[in-house]
Amino acid sequence: MAMDEGILTRSESSGWEEAEAVKGKETLQSDERRATDFVMGLDIGSATSKCVVLRLDGAIIGKAVVAGGVGTEGAEQAKSLALQDAGILSDAAPMRVAATGYGRHLATDADGRFSELSCHALGALRLFPEARTVIDIGGQDSKVLRVSERGTLESFAMNDKCAAGTGRFLEEIARALNIPVGEMAELAASSGKCLDISSTCVVFAESEVVSHLARGASRADVLGGIFRSIAARVGALAQRAGICPMVVMTGGVAMNAGVREALADELGMEISVSPLSQHAGALGAALRALAQT
Amino acid sequence: MSEKEIKGTIEEVFSYSARHPARLLEEYRAAGQKAVGILPYYAPEELVYAAGMAPLGLWGMEGSVRGAGRYFPAFYCAIARMNLEMALVGVLDGLSAVLAPSICDAMRPFTQNFKSARPDIPMIFLAQPQNRTEEFGVVYMTDELARVREELEAVAGTRITDDAIRDAIAVYNESRAERRRFVRLAASHPSVITPERRSDVLKSAWFMPKPRHTAVLKTLNDAIEALAPENWTGGKVVVSGILADSASLLSVFQDNRLAIVADDVANESRSFRSDMPLPEKDEAPLRILARGFAGQGADSLLHDPDLSRRARHLKGLVEESGAQGVVFVMMQFCDPEELDYPHLKQALDAVGIPNAQIGYDQQMRDFGQARTQLEAFSEMLADRGRRDCSAASSTGR
Repeated sequence: MAMDEGILTRSESSGWEEAEAVKGKETLQSDERRATDFVMGLDIGSATSKCVVLRLDGAIIGKAVVAGGVGTEGAEQAKSLALQDAGILSDAAPMRVAATGYGRHLATDADGRFSELSCHALGALRLFPEARTVIDIGGQDSKVLRVSERGTLESFAMNDKCAAGTGRFLEEIARALNIPVGEMAELAASSGKCLDISSTCVVFAESEVVSHLARGASRADVLGGIFRSIAARVGALAQRAGICPMVVMTGGVAMNAGVREALADELGMEISVSPLSQHAGALGAALRALAQT
Repeated sequence: MSEKEIKGTIEEVFSYSARHPARLLEEYRAAGQKAVGILPYYAPEELVYAAGMAPLGLWGMEGSVRGAGRYFPAFYCAIARMNLEMALVGVLDGLSAVLAPSICDAMRPFTQNFKSARPDIPMIFLAQPQNRTEEFGVVYMTDELARVREELEAVAGTRITDDAIRDAIAVYNESRAERRRFVRLAASHPSVITPERRSDVLKSAWFMPKPRHTAVLKTLNDAIEALAPENWTGGKVVVSGILADSASLLSVFQDNRLAIVADDVANESRSFRSDMPLPEKDEAPLRILARGFAGQGADSLLHDPDLSRRARHLKGLVEESGAQGVVFVMMQFCDPEELDYPHLKQALDAVGIPNAQIGYDQQMRDFGQARTQLEAFSEMLADRGRRDCSAASSTGR
């Protein structure tokens, strides 16, 4: 590991647990902390806001994700919760703040703003130093990033303006099926039949869902088809960017095991995730902030 | 001319013309000159000029498609749809005719819809040959140009003489040479000739009288040449695509300190990168125009048995201009460009030239995705620059 040697070592799906371990050893005393001995990364997305707090030695000491992205109070809430998670007084000022995500330019208190592509690349590499391909499916974008061993972007591909293959697509389908987004993967796990659903257009896909339901298909089978549809769309994007193992998934949709497994099948490759995958952009921003101290 | 005067000249002359072609059309008509719309691509503008008429490029416009939606599906070439919208809303009312080349598979069906939507504006169709380099292709194209010449004569109400065509070729070649010079000079002064100013200077050539455009551009080029060399610390890119003239899109390049140091854009360098050839002994001027078209290549619209030609051209542009990468501005929904992209990307990746693709449509209002992608590309180029510097210093270079 180039820039984070010894701070947080990788193990499959273990990034956050290790960070927790580091934090636990610290026994943070918020009133003893200087106001400037930490940095903050803020990822203001289209649907959620994420925040990661790093100690100056690079250890992750706080994190938060809240529903509410651009144009909401989500960013402020995420900052406040991440500080609370780190055991830092809410009025303490970080040494540097870096912002990323669709709403990065609205973060007026940020010292630096970076694209979510380079931040996800950096964050993913911190979680998985062997990562060479990062698939980030967020609220309104899906991106495939090729990263170097230093965490820098080598190339990338991003979806066009269509919402197919994005988190927004999942939300629409969840609404159509009347189930919470968080319960989709569990329900789809009981699917016994492979339904074919369009991967080209959200509107077409939604009407196909209604047609399948009208013909008596189960919601589980419909969801299985939806996950494969997203996987086909993102898989094509990945082919365009070029795929090189290890493949890591970040963004909110990484937490959906159904999409993850469908995508792994589509690519014919194992996909690694961390409990911190959704925070990868904020983590990358925090690392950018740290590099500027 | 000072830097301030350079910027002032661009604003007053070139930006004004680039942003207000309808006013120029009014001015031509007020002066008693007929105007002919020039559709993409590779139309023989020289014949329109030789007829004493004003050619006006038709590359769509920024706005919303309403009436044209009755004629085209949503996933169709943006330029075709917007050009028809312009015809339907009356923007093209002052034109005496429209010259329509056929080399683009999307623009060819457009001509049928245009005739149906605006039967009052004469449409002069030019069926260009894809097999253009063989002698039979040149002969066929020469015949087609003869027919176009006759139809233009009918619109102009005057004969187009061989001498007038020869003069027009000279005027246009001089314009092409001056625009090529501008592109080179712009690359070495990116903070003065910003992406938006660069685009305005080149785009205005589609609307202004060519001799005036060339004369003002020559003065401008001389002034830019006299400026002190610039130490540009931002990124340098080659832009490739059909159109890259949106002020909103170009401001994203500017905000991310990406200088456009060369281009492979259809309504920019592709239209002037080569001159009409010198005449062979006693050669008819129409044949010169036919050979000029035959000499075009490295273009998604033109059949080329050598698949690597455009990739070589792009790599050459990167090398000659000192660019660090290539940005493909992908017109939605341009099939020829989309189909060219995979092999171009493969060729650039193979030699380690960073590249990115951003989508563009003239109906686009939100450039958030383009901003994210260009910001990431700019960061990527900067990171590579630092890595290269670091590698150079560690090896003592």
